[in-house]
Amino acid sequence: MSLKNAFTIIFGKLMVKTLHLLGRDAGNFPGLVLWTINKDCLKAFKVDCPIVAVTGTNGKTSVTNYLSHIFASGGKKIITNPEGNNLDTGICSLLLNHCDMRGRVHADYLVLETDESHVPVVYSKLNLQTLVLLNFFRDQLDRNGEVETLILKVKKFLETFEGNVVLNADDPNVARLGLANPNNKNIHYFSVDRYQGATDKPYEVGEGKFCPFCDTELVYDYYQYSHIGKFHCPKCGFGNIEPEVEIKNVDLTVPSFEADGETYKTAHNSIYYMYNMAAVYTAAKLYNFDKAILHDTFEHFEVNNGRLERFEVDGSSLLVNLAKNPVGANMTLRVMNEQAGSKELLFVLNDNLADGHDVSWIWDINFSVFNNVDRVVTSGTRAYDIAIRIKCSGYDPDKIFVYPDLDEATASLFSTKGDKFAIANYTAIQPTRAAIKRYKSLKENGEEK
Amino acid sequence: MEKLKILHMYPNMLDLYGDSGNVEVLSYRCKMRGIELEVSKHLIGDKETDFTQYDIIYLGGGADFEQQILADDLVSCKDSIMEAYKAGTFFLMICGGYQLMGQYYKDSNGEKVPGLGLFDYYTVASTDKRCRCIGNIVIEAQLDGEKYKVIGFENHGGQTTNVKSPFGKVLSGNGNEFESSTEGYMEKSVIATYLHGPLLSKNPKVSDYVISYCMSRKLGEKYIPAPINDKLEEDCRKQLFERLGV
Repeated sequence: MSLKNAFTIIFGKLMVKTLHLLGRDAGNFPGLVLWTINKDCLKAFKVDCPIVAVTGTNGKTSVTNYLSHIFASGGKKIITNPEGNNLDTGICSLLLNHCDMRGRVHADYLVLETDESHVPVVYSKLNLQTLVLLNFFRDQLDRNGEVETLILKVKKFLETFEGNVVLNADDPNVARLGLANPNNKNIHYFSVDRYQGATDKPYEVGEGKFCPFCDTELVYDYYQYSHIGKFHCPKCGFGNIEPEVEIKNVDLTVPSFEADGETYKTAHNSIYYMYNMAAVYTAAKLYNFDKAILHDTFEHFEVNNGRLERFEVDGSSLLVNLAKNPVGANMTLRVMNEQAGSKELLFVLNDNLADGHDVSWIWDINFSVFNNVDRVVTSGTRAYDIAIRIKCSGYDPDKIFVYPDLDEATASLFSTKGDKFAIANYTAIQPTRAAIKRYKSLKENGEEK
Repeated sequence: MEKLKILHMYPNMLDLYGDSGNVEVLSYRCKMRGIELEVSKHLIGDKETDFTQYDIIYLGGGADFEQQILADDLVSCKDSIMEAYKAGTFFLMICGGYQLMGQYYKDSNGEKVPGLGLFDYYTVASTDKRCRCIGNIVIEAQLDGEKYKVIGFENHGGQTTNVKSPFGKVLSGNGNEFESSTEGYMEKSVIATYLHGPLLSKNPKVSDYVISYCMSRKLGEKYIPAPINDKLEEDCRKQLFERLGV
């Protein structure tokens, strides 16, 4: 190890120890400092195990958690970032916490959620074995730049990458990357066969309308959701990929899916969740995990971090889901509309740095499909923006209640009984969960008196 | 029932940042006044489009990639678009749409996209892709002689110059260029701007200006849109103006 790298690690470890002594949670900070003093600081770590990275616009955290759960089976030691922290500095901090004074990171696997735009910078310095790529949607455009710019960044990295690449064959933005390095024989496509809710015409706005190779408009046999579906280019033939793993017979009522001739029950039942499971299955298959572990994981494991999380509050049932872009929000609305009976919606919208300051993405959410929604409560730093959005879709403004304060919004949501749904964006999700828990404990303690 | 016709150009390509929401807002505000807004599309390769048949022509914003693809088609429509413009059809254009109606747009890859040349302004983007005007923006526009604060979100690499009559004076944000004093381009029948949000969502008077212009032109007498419930919009504007200190 070079002197500079040795110094980097010792300095970083001392910093983490000092912060711990001060009772501080280290978080991103040590990584940020390390990155500032040494741009190659990630090279200072010696990782002795395979690294699996998960990236894509939606589903990174869920897939990372599922894979970690599977990879940890049988008492294996894994290091992961289950709560995000998926930028270069976050990953650097994570490794700093787990390495010894010589920078050695010892584990059986590293399973790392990695921000799309940080894939090249992180894995030009760490030895990646498998990259799982879920999807590319428009997301926080003011932060990430146009989707195309992001795809090109990942493509450039893949042009020289020779490890495993797990790709969604049904997303043209992702599938195209299988051709980034013609010499890489380790391309593993997954696909989900047409499910009952698939449509012949697109239902929501999407990104992949034109062939990335010849600019011709892509032709779809069907759309599963957004621009995800079975597609091909009528001119150059891009698409119609033969996947290595094809998920079949998705049944949202059981719920379950079939892979390699075996039926797996699942804990949730939306199509985008099934795509996440398809990615998890394909990556796990590469590492030959026992089918029993997969069955158990798909049926029972829950991330419970604001990702399709259920709360029972004061006799009402509430499903909370993170949505940081139109596709995520549309999926939750789809789950909501498919549920029979009347319901109420809480939408919490923030415009902090990590959300992207631009909230115009809410206009790409399809609210015109509201089915039996009795009341809408909005909250967050942009509570009025989302209220206006819902109003202009034709929803009665007298049924929209705006409470920028989350505790007031939560109280308003539970002022009536019945089924509730909550959508919150990135920085709003944890405060929303906290407000719900506060309200719940207030109610339960109140009832004990 | 009165009817207005809007032509949404390239909605499948120029729909970044929720810009299609402008059509939704216009439809909503027309409907509240008992006006039906009939929405038609012009897509690449539509040779038959007669632009003079419409009350409003609308273009949203798009990525560099899409602007390159559609530039040829747009130029092929030049005569009919020019005719509509001269006859008084209203033109509403956002970001990429704004740029494409000028002389030319030189994108962040240094590639020159020919504009329609309807107006004199032209746009050059920095080749440094990170060099963009991004953030909340408030401008002061004049609508029928009345000052009105217009709020939105700008996100553009292009720097637009040679703008003869801007849409407004910048109160907070960048505008046509980095730290510019002016934003967008305006004539009586034209609003061209970098403001997303979408533009019309938080600026009900801008929507009503467009509706008023089109209905007056159609009826041959001044049309004043009836007031509607804009409480959410007013509260939203108040909150954001306070936050941005304007």
